[in-house]
Amino acid sequence: MNSAAGHVLFVETPAVRRKLRQEALAKWVFCAMAAAMVVPLLLIVGYLVVRAAPSLNLEFLLEVPKRGMTEGGIWPALIGTIYLVFISLAVSAPIGILAAIYLNEYARDNWFNRVINLAVINLAGVPSIVHALFGLGAFVYAAKFGYSIISASLTLAIMTLPVIIASTREALASVPQSFREACWNVGATRWQTIKSVVLPNSISGILTGVILQVSRAAGETAPVMFTGVVFFKSIERGDLFPYYLNEQCMALSMHLYTISTQVPGVKESIPYATAVVLLALVVMVNAAAISLRVYLRSRQKW
Amino acid sequence: MNPFPATYRRIFLPVAIAAVLVVLAGCKPKSSGTAGTSGHSRTTIQNKGSDTMVNVAQVWAEDYKQLHPNVDVEVSGGGSGVGIAALIKGTIDMANASRDMKPEEKAQAKRNTGKEPREFVVGYDALAVYVHKDNPLTEVTHEQLADIFAEGGKVTKWSEMGVKMPAGQDEIVRVSRQSSSGTYEFFREHVLNKRDFKLGSRDMNGSKEVVELVASTTSAIGYSGLGYNEPGKVKMLKVSPKTGQPAIEPSVATALSKQYPIARPLLVYTLGEPTGEIKNYIDWILTDAGQQIVERSGYVPVRTGTAKP
Repeated sequence: MNSAAGHVLFVETPAVRRKLRQEALAKWVFCAMAAAMVVPLLLIVGYLVVRAAPSLNLEFLLEVPKRGMTEGGIWPALIGTIYLVFISLAVSAPIGILAAIYLNEYARDNWFNRVINLAVINLAGVPSIVHALFGLGAFVYAAKFGYSIISASLTLAIMTLPVIIASTREALASVPQSFREACWNVGATRWQTIKSVVLPNSISGILTGVILQVSRAAGETAPVMFTGVVFFKSIERGDLFPYYLNEQCMALSMHLYTISTQVPGVKESIPYATAVVLLALVVMVNAAAISLRVYLRSRQKW
Repeated sequence: MNPFPATYRRIFLPVAIAAVLVVLAGCKPKSSGTAGTSGHSRTTIQNKGSDTMVNVAQVWAEDYKQLHPNVDVEVSGGGSGVGIAALIKGTIDMANASRDMKPEEKAQAKRNTGKEPREFVVGYDALAVYVHKDNPLTEVTHEQLADIFAEGGKVTKWSEMGVKMPAGQDEIVRVSRQSSSGTYEFFREHVLNKRDFKLGSRDMNGSKEVVELVASTTSAIGYSGLGYNEPGKVKMLKVSPKTGQPAIEPSVATALSKQYPIARPLLVYTLGEPTGEIKNYIDWILTDAGQQIVERSGYVPVRTGTAKP
């Protein structure tokens, strides 16, 4: 009886063959679509690098723009972007992480915390140009920081804050609840639990979330253009600390925009080389985030 | 069990202290008086406004830095309106404008900051009318330009101008500027006689973009500064001040002799009479060195002969 049933079950009928054909087809279609994602990336990077090749060298990174920005390098913009990214994340990362810890570890489900949640979600959806206007009104005019690196960084910080909160909450939520319960059961307070159990186990996710915001802060043009990034500022070649924080600076994203729309007669490879530098900066930072995550992940104990 | 908590404590406090110190040290003390805190004193001049002038202003800043390493000039664009608005708010030192400040804007600046804006003419700009290089048209009259660009103007097709275009491209593509631009204001005031622009023009965000769009569009016509000409890609039309009068070629010489009809002053505004480094900077702009930069950028220097070395 058993063997007879098995025999009937595993015979290849036309219906089964059709089913297997469809399965193979579906797999190939999905695979092709996934592979298609790689094509635009390769095309973009390849195109940029080929067009940028004549200008890509160390001199280009360290030199200041010359002859009405039609020649020379991008040092003031590169160092300006680094300033903006560091300061904005130095502000938004601590606030965002602490807020996320409260929301994930302490907050009960009541109306007050639901309002905070709603605010975070909505803040994440505000377009960057609106952040720009807000930064102009709040930091440049109301707080009287003027057009300055501080204003621009704070504007970027507000823009990156909700995403840092969201990614940190996700990282905290991925720590199994049983870890916390074990800790509470030996008499630890919530803060002790957070400090010695939750944070060490979620640090990789938190840092990844923060580092990924570097690319966002480095790439945005509108918020910094309104609040503290200039078309041009003359600084010394290779100067590591060229800007005071209450002065304005140049930035890569804005520089790319101005040399490709405003300045006549720019050497053709320079805008492309600027784009490559911006892209490389972002890719390097993301790669660092990924390797950090892999490293910390390997030390995780579950 | 894990090494993290100890590491936090060891790292966190120094980092936090360092961050606070960096922020405090990073702020430049406002240059009120000369408290001899450090060896070198740096002055920053904030300069914002006209997109037409932004490239000249940039070269001024670049060259001035060579002569006066202690003066940093921050240059940004955005349009004459943007610069004037910032000057009214008192957030910048110098506004570049390719149009006059309106009386109500001056009054506003006075109300907000208590200082009367002071105007300096630092050069002249001739607005050129650009068409595609393959366009057979060579000259245009003031009235025709108004008919093409102004609201209520009759001309919408190249055939009405007597120009034969390839099939399907008879419609004139009008390339204009965004409304915060001084170039836009000047063209509206002096070519359209203060009438509004016809709807449906392509409004570009920069002087260079106008020329680029015209270069890539056979049926386009646009206006932009003389300095943005790209020979071989676009053609500048001769403009006659009135139907029947001879058309004048746009050039530094014809703008300076006031023959060319669409020319305008390039202005710098400060709040009150400039003093200190700002005064030195404007004085330098008006010297031969500064005026040569104006001419090299394709604009017209203030005084005849100043630009000759």
